Amino acid sequence: LSRPLLAPRTRFSRGAIAAVIALNCGGMAATVSADEPAPASGVDIRLQLSPRVCTLALKDKRCQTEVHASWQAPRQESLCLIVLQRPDVKRCWENYSEGTYSIKMVFADDLTFQLRDPELRQILSSEILHVIREAIHYRHQRRDPWNVFE
Amino acid sequence: MYKLLLGSLLASMAFAAPSQTAPTEADCQQASDNCAAIGRWNFSVALGAGVRTNPVIHSQDIPLVVIPQVSYYGKRVFLNNLDLGFTLAEGNSSSISLIASPGYDRVFFYRSDLQNIFVSGFSGSGYNATVVRSDAQGAVAFPPKSRRITYLAGPEWTFKFEGVTGQVDLLHEITAQDHGNEIRAALGIPLIERGRIGSLGVNVGITWKSAAIVNYYYGSPNLYEAGSALNPFIKFKFSRPLSGKWRLDALVQYERLGRAIANSPIVTEDQVVTAFIGATYPF
Repeated sequence: LSRPLLAPRTRFSRGAIAAVIALNCGGMAATVSADEPAPASGVDIRLQLSPRVCTLALKDKRCQTEVHASWQAPRQESLCLIVLQRPDVKRCWENYSEGTYSIKMVFADDLTFQLRDPELRQILSSEILHVIREAIHYRHQRRDPWNVFE
Repeated sequence: MYKLLLGSLLASMAFAAPSQTAPTEADCQQASDNCAAIGRWNFSVALGAGVRTNPVIHSQDIPLVVIPQVSYYGKRVFLNNLDLGFTLAEGNSSSISLIASPGYDRVFFYRSDLQNIFVSGFSGSGYNATVVRSDAQGAVAFPPKSRRITYLAGPEWTFKFEGVTGQVDLLHEITAQDHGNEIRAALGIPLIERGRIGSLGVNVGITWKSAAIVNYYYGSPNLYEAGSALNPFIKFKFSRPLSGKWRLDALVQYERLGRAIANSPIVTEDQVVTAFIGATYPF
C-alpha cells in the first residue's frame, strides 16, 4: 500500500465511502461562494497541513487518511477553516492566536484548505493537500485467436 | 518436421526481432482494445447463449452461457485466461514471448475441464463410451482412458503489419503426458473498425498437432494409431458498445478437423462449430 507523506497512520480505500467527519462542525453548514474571495492583505497567518501529499498506488483509487490542520497567527483572530471541495467541513475560532483541527477524510482529488474571516469573504491563508497518482503504464495486449472471445 | 519449423521460426524471429530487449509501451499510452495497463488485473464476464459442437461420439455439444475472462499484464509476465507468458522482447510491431498453454482437445472429453469453466454445469462425467470400429467385422471395444490436463510451452512470435496481427506458437507438451508438439499460427484481420454499427474482425489460422497428441486424445494402441493432424479454422467476431460498460459480442467459428482426428473411431464429425451471442461486462 502506498501512503501519504508525513502521515503516520494512513490507509486507502478502494470503495466509494463517504468521508467521515471526526469533529463536530457545530451544526453549521459552510457555504463557500463560487466567487473566489480576494486574499486579505497584511495578514500573517500560517496554515499547515499534515499530510501535505497523498500518493496513490496503481491499485488505489482514493486516499483515506486523517488530516491534521494547524494555524498560528501573531495576534488573536476570529476565523474559520474550510475545505473548498467539502462544503460540509467548517471549523471556526473566535479570538484565538492558534488552532488545530483533525478530520478523517476520503478523497480522490486535491483538497484546498482555507482560513477565512468569519463571514467567509476573505482568504486569510490557503494550503492544498495534493493527490499524486502513480503513473499507469501500458503494454500491448496479447491476442489469442484460439480463445472464443479474441 | 517440428525441428524444421522451429528453426524456420527462430530464423524469422531473429530477422524480425524488435530492437528493444525489454517490453515497450511506445504506442500504448492509454487503455484500449490493444493495450492493457501494466500491473492491473482485468476481469470480464460474458452472458449470453451459444454452443460449441462436440465431434466426439456419444458426447453432447457444449453450451456457452457464462464465459469469464481474466488477464494480467506485468512488465514482462502475463496471464491470459489459462495461458501464461513471459515476454522476452517487445517492439511496436512484434514481440517474442515464452508461453505455456493448455492442450485444447481435452474440452471434448471432460465437461469439467477448466477451458469449459462456467460454460455449463460441471457434469464431471467425461467420455467413457464404449465405441466400436465401424469397419470391423465384429464389434471391437474402444477402451476408455483418462486424458489428463496437459500444458504445452514454447516460443510465441506476434507481429502486426498494416493493421493485421499475426501469431505463431511452437509448443511442446511439458506435463509428461504425450510429449507431443503443436504449432499454432493465426492472422487477425479487422474488417470494420469501430464503425457506426460496431467492429467486425476475422481470424484465420491453423493448428498442427503431432501424432503423439492426436493419439493421446483420439487413438488407441493396436486399434487406431493416427498420424499428425492439421486443423484450419476461421472465426468472425462482431462487437459493439451497449449502454455503460456493457458490450455486445457475437461470434462464429468454424474449425475443420484434420484427417487423423476425423478418422478416429471415436470422432463422428470432421468439424467443430462455435457460435455465441451475448453481452460482455468488463469489471
